Amino acid sequence: MRKKTGLGGKKDLNADLNLTPFIDLLSTMVCFLLITAVWIDIGSVEIKQSHGTQASESKKVTYDLDVVFKNPTSLRLNLKRKGRTVKSFNVKSENFESTMSQMNSIVQNKVLKYKNKAIEIATATITPRSSVNYGNLISTLDVLRSNKIINIGVLSAKGQ
Amino acid sequence: MRLNGSLVASDAFEKHLINRRRKRAWGVKAIGFTLMLTSMVDMFSMLVVFLLQTFSSSPEILVSKGIELPNSLTPDIVKEAPVLSINRDGNLYLDQKLVGITKQITKKPSLLMNKLNTIKSDWAKSHSTPFPAEINLQADKEVSSTTVSTVMGMLTSGQYQSIQLAVIGR
Repeated sequence: MRKKTGLGGKKDLNADLNLTPFIDLLSTMVCFLLITAVWIDIGSVEIKQSHGTQASESKKVTYDLDVVFKNPTSLRLNLKRKGRTVKSFNVKSENFESTMSQMNSIVQNKVLKYKNKAIEIATATITPRSSVNYGNLISTLDVLRSNKIINIGVLSAKGQ
Repeated sequence: MRLNGSLVASDAFEKHLINRRRKRAWGVKAIGFTLMLTSMVDMFSMLVVFLLQTFSSSPEILVSKGIELPNSLTPDIVKEAPVLSINRDGNLYLDQKLVGITKQITKKPSLLMNKLNTIKSDWAKSHSTPFPAEINLQADKEVSSTTVSTVMGMLTSGQYQSIQLAVIGR
């Protein structure tokens, strides 16, 4: 029997949590979240095929960049201004991965710092070849996008 | 002899008796069982926390069967738009429905263009805002880039200028 002390009864310090609704709520949440869960992280890479973008309309001195594939391990970068090629860079390596890393360093050190000045690339265009697969094309887009070249188009080549 | 709550044998015979008693005790099965509520609630809470962390409210697109998407280091969020898929077997699908063989479609694009125009006109009927001209393009990573670029050219001529290439984010 509980011993009375003072005027009021002494409250029990141990509170019991009603587990049934708690487990109900948790199981409902688990079911809902499992059904709506997305296990594959799908993203997108935007391609703007139209000519004349917002970037090219700005008054800054801007250049265009053409990426012309010869084969998966060899490509040419043409830096253009007002439609005329001002400088070309050849990229060639033993495999595709090393070609991409070489292209990345050329874009960073030579293209974006043309004549030791930081330049802006308004649009980039990729000319694919049939020997270059879609996975390689996405890797090329990755290199350009990681160097903050956003307006990228892909030429719809026939044959080759 | 009992040491710290457990039986300890002093000689070989006593050891044998203790072992026999233990073996008998193992044979007896409990009639009822108790659910370990604490561990179950712990497991549920951890599951809920993990699933809530991985929850995403951004739109998702279905990846067609027979397509292995390429990986990308710079992916953006997927936008809700019609999905055009180029399979490894050479078939072209629009919103999971077969349009035809990609090579034939590139030579004679009228079938695809009609379907794309239908999407545009349906949009105009149900929306007051202008058509966003966006389309999601899925292609297998082994598909030739010229095939993809030819399809892109067709989409551009069909006034779908903003093409979202579906990739798997790392």
